[in-house]
Amino acid sequence: MGRRDRRVPLRNGRAWAGLAILAGVIFAALFAPWLAPHDPLEPHLEARRQPPSLQHPLGRDELGRDNLSRVIYGARLSLWVGVTSVGLAVMVGGALGAMAGYRGGWLDSLITSVVDVMLAFPTLLLAIAVVVVLGRGLTHVMYALAFAMIPTYARLVRVGVLAIKEQEYVLAARAIGVSPVRLLWRHILPNCLTPVQAQATLGIGAAILEAAGLSFLGLGAQPPTPEWGAMIAQGRGAVFAAPHIVLFPGLAIMLTVLGFNLLGDGLRDHADPRLL
Amino acid sequence: MTHHIARRVALLLPALLGVSLATFALLRLIPGDPAQVMLGEHATAEQVARYRAAMGLDEPLPVQYLCYLGNLARGDWGRSLKTNLPVTTELAQRLPATIELSLAALLIAGVVGLPLGTLAAARRNSPLDWLAAVSTLVGVSMPLFWLGLLLSNLFGYQLGWLPPSGRLTIGVALQPLHEAYPLTHVFPQLPPAVTDLISTLSFLVSHFYILDSLLTANPAALADALCHLILPALTLSTVPLAVIVRLTRACLLDALAQDYVRTARAKGLSERAVVWRHALKNAALPVLTAAGLQLGLLFSGAILTETIFSWPGLGQLVVDRVLARDYPTVQGVVLVSASLFLLINLATDVGYALLDPRIRYG
Repeated sequence: MGRRDRRVPLRNGRAWAGLAILAGVIFAALFAPWLAPHDPLEPHLEARRQPPSLQHPLGRDELGRDNLSRVIYGARLSLWVGVTSVGLAVMVGGALGAMAGYRGGWLDSLITSVVDVMLAFPTLLLAIAVVVVLGRGLTHVMYALAFAMIPTYARLVRVGVLAIKEQEYVLAARAIGVSPVRLLWRHILPNCLTPVQAQATLGIGAAILEAAGLSFLGLGAQPPTPEWGAMIAQGRGAVFAAPHIVLFPGLAIMLTVLGFNLLGDGLRDHADPRLL
Repeated sequence: MTHHIARRVALLLPALLGVSLATFALLRLIPGDPAQVMLGEHATAEQVARYRAAMGLDEPLPVQYLCYLGNLARGDWGRSLKTNLPVTTELAQRLPATIELSLAALLIAGVVGLPLGTLAAARRNSPLDWLAAVSTLVGVSMPLFWLGLLLSNLFGYQLGWLPPSGRLTIGVALQPLHEAYPLTHVFPQLPPAVTDLISTLSFLVSHFYILDSLLTANPAALADALCHLILPALTLSTVPLAVIVRLTRACLLDALAQDYVRTARAKGLSERAVVWRHALKNAALPVLTAAGLQLGLLFSGAILTETIFSWPGLGQLVVDRVLARDYPTVQGVVLVSASLFLLINLATDVGYALLDPRIRYG
């Protein structure tokens, strides 16, 4: 397997393609107010479902709002949900996994069994359950997805810590009296981050898909929020009369998730060349 | 190996208890009085008080949990707030639909994915390999509900080739198993426990439309049920298909790099025999395992697919009842799907141990 240089993480084309797509999406999200040609929330009932035209390249939606502007603003919400939910899951799951792996004993058994039970619930169902408790809304969806993803990162970090904590340099650091927290933070965790990084990148894509699904079901973003899943739900009654309403938000989701998947695959290749 | 299997089965019990604890906690985490939550907002104060007493809601939490476990074990899973049917009845009607859909999706994924992954590995870096890589990536990046919506509208409404939603055309009738085979009439002396069991089984089977139409020799219903199954199963198969293609390719490439493959080639076997007979046999095991695990993971996708295609399974049920605040039913779906997930994983693990002669650890 000598075709990969381990020091250059983004050597393969896939990762670069992913990064390029994401750069575009992030650009759209950051500069939405300047890029969007119209107000994403302003209805024009006289021009409902208008097909794409020069003034409205992606047409108008069910209430005559500019579809392009809504798709552009949607990038903000999806990126926000994806990144924050995965970020939270990595922090909480990572802390749990690190404690379990480092301390071992009853704490490890406790955390592992809780994580195993959580893994038994399908992600989307677990997220739905959390939304049932917290109530609907995109912020709650973000918490729900973070909660549902905790076990993934807890497992990943636990395994990494277990593998590294017996290494000689860690034993040496412990022998000279480095505190456990510092030992974990400075010596152990940085060395088990690579798989977490790859998983988190893929996880953001998955979280974006699930958030869109929950919004599509009516549990996430509420109207008139320009969220991609909610936009598809809103246009589902007119898929053939006005295909543009459903088509473009779906393509936007696909492109964004594709970006994260390409980058994540590239990073995983780098982390473990044995997996594909 | 018996030891290994026994250990895995023994580990199932604490996991199931954990799952029940989680569903128990779910209802107590919903803001408001659990009795009110379970009975709905229209319940009278008297009903609520009676329910509190019956469920032991005034007792300490551990006692409540034991009470809940006892009810579960007795088959009393509460009543739906929406239909007033026992939750177990609703689940028994819906679960077969979800299982049928998931198995069909997995079947499509396997039948398409295994050969595609094999070809991609055998002709590495060919246009076919490239096509497989791109299509699997696009497949896993696509929102399922969006794909389903487009398929259902294109092939269902626009072209009219396939039914756009539902499981059976109205008017097409299925015959319940116990009517087709009236065992209880033939053997009137059967003990009541046996007849109960037979009617329960018949009830379950009658909701597996494909199985039921096969068993009762009903070709019209079979064809109709299969037509309804195609679009949702295709939609649901995208993710497992991608996983199977990628994993088959990776495992086969691994196997092709082994010494026995060089030996096989050196003794002059055709490349086809090397790939399909020697390497694939060794690459198949992890793929089968992954397929088993995918079956457990399909439920997330089933929630969205069933909603799009009005497929009357557990996924559609849970969405419908979350929106209707029918919490006893939601609790039931959560409990059943998590337990099934654990059982499927157990079965996969045991199957792996049985199939792989190298696993002899205890």
